Amino acid sequence: MPDHPAAQIEAHIPGLRRFARQLLRGDPERADDLVQDTLERALSRWHLRRNDGDMHGWLYTILYHRFLTDLHREKRRSAHHRSTDVAVDRPEVEGEQEAALIHRDLLRAFAELPEEQRSVLFLVTVEDLSYGEAARVLGVPIGTVMSRLSRGREKLRRYLSGERQPVKAQLGKVK
Amino acid sequence: MTDLPGPVGDDELMAYVDGRLSPDRAEAVGSYLAAHPEIRERLSQFAEQRQALRAAFGERAEGPIPTRLRLTRLIAERQRRRGRRLAEIAAAILLVALGGIGGWTARDLMSPRASPPSALAAGTIMADALAAHRTFAVEVRHPVEVDAAQEAHLVQWLSKRLGRPLVVPDLSATGYRLMGGRLLPAGSGPAAQLMYENGAGDRLTVYVRPGVAGEASVYRQDKNVGAFYWADEGLGCVIVGDADRGALSRAAERVYEQTFPGMPKRNLAPQREKNG
Repeated sequence: MPDHPAAQIEAHIPGLRRFARQLLRGDPERADDLVQDTLERALSRWHLRRNDGDMHGWLYTILYHRFLTDLHREKRRSAHHRSTDVAVDRPEVEGEQEAALIHRDLLRAFAELPEEQRSVLFLVTVEDLSYGEAARVLGVPIGTVMSRLSRGREKLRRYLSGERQPVKAQLGKVK
Repeated sequence: MTDLPGPVGDDELMAYVDGRLSPDRAEAVGSYLAAHPEIRERLSQFAEQRQALRAAFGERAEGPIPTRLRLTRLIAERQRRRGRRLAEIAAAILLVALGGIGGWTARDLMSPRASPPSALAAGTIMADALAAHRTFAVEVRHPVEVDAAQEAHLVQWLSKRLGRPLVVPDLSATGYRLMGGRLLPAGSGPAAQLMYENGAGDRLTVYVRPGVAGEASVYRQDKNVGAFYWADEGLGCVIVGDADRGALSRAAERVYEQTFPGMPKRNLAPQREKNG
């Protein structure tokens, strides 16, 4: 295994970008800022990583921690300026035009979920993290991961089965 | 266990959807679902949802990785910064060697970018580090609070109190071995002092204070005690010792390399020993 950080980190960049974009809905530019920040931190903390090969989880943990720190800072700041609303509160689906139409409603409904539920669902289903890994990344107990997962799935199911319409369905025939 | 499936919990239903159950439990959940069609229906919707989410995210075009996220570029940038710091430290050593007088501030001479606030902070931190060195380096019975025999505990404790992971530099290549460390009050928060000793009984301290803004590197000599200071990545670090300047600067380089590693080594100062 190459010891040089670049070789080990490089492969995870697409995943980190996906995660960042998921967290910062509708703002790919800021998502890449977050990834850049994460990579810089990973390089400067390279010697502190746990040596069990869980590079994936380690990088995601740095990214998520960064995201929360930025979020809190921004919330404090926007308490003074009500007009500058935090971008992450904007339920927009970034990259909609690229996503196939069939997934548009799903992504919109997904974007309406609270951040905690979105992150758990994303890490577990899209990124295939184990429950334990997801718990570590998000810094919560495994039980919390499970209950967020269950609640997120149920909410998404209701949205999609029409029990509650998240957005005006412009392409309503999708299911 | 297989013939007596326990009650099925919500967690297991989730794990069933994600295919993360042991075969035993998957079977147990399977029989449970056979008896509970409404739950089975809900789970099959969850499973569809899972597939759809994977497909939806999979199809989203992420685009090529932008230049600013290229690791080669990020590493080169870090290397450049680190090279500048080492060059500054080397320059500080050289200036002192040439001038032979104390009180030089490399940053002030090297680059006019040094801002007054960070210079001020540097002065305060160095003064604190020197005072701490003078107080404890002469201690015979209690030079440290936690000794090197409990290094793991020392690291854990100081990291916790400083609020960031502390690296205890290994200076054995320069003949200094760790004696231990202590926690010190410093302004509004704590600082840590690590103490080293060589075979001749010379002591050297590494003073670390978090929450320091900006970048700086300074060498200062006060009577027979020399101090290297630098700040980077929010950390202020001072190496203090009454060793001769050569030994102190070699130790300072080791501390710097171990505090901010992560990059392939680059030989910046030709006279510097190669570090393995």
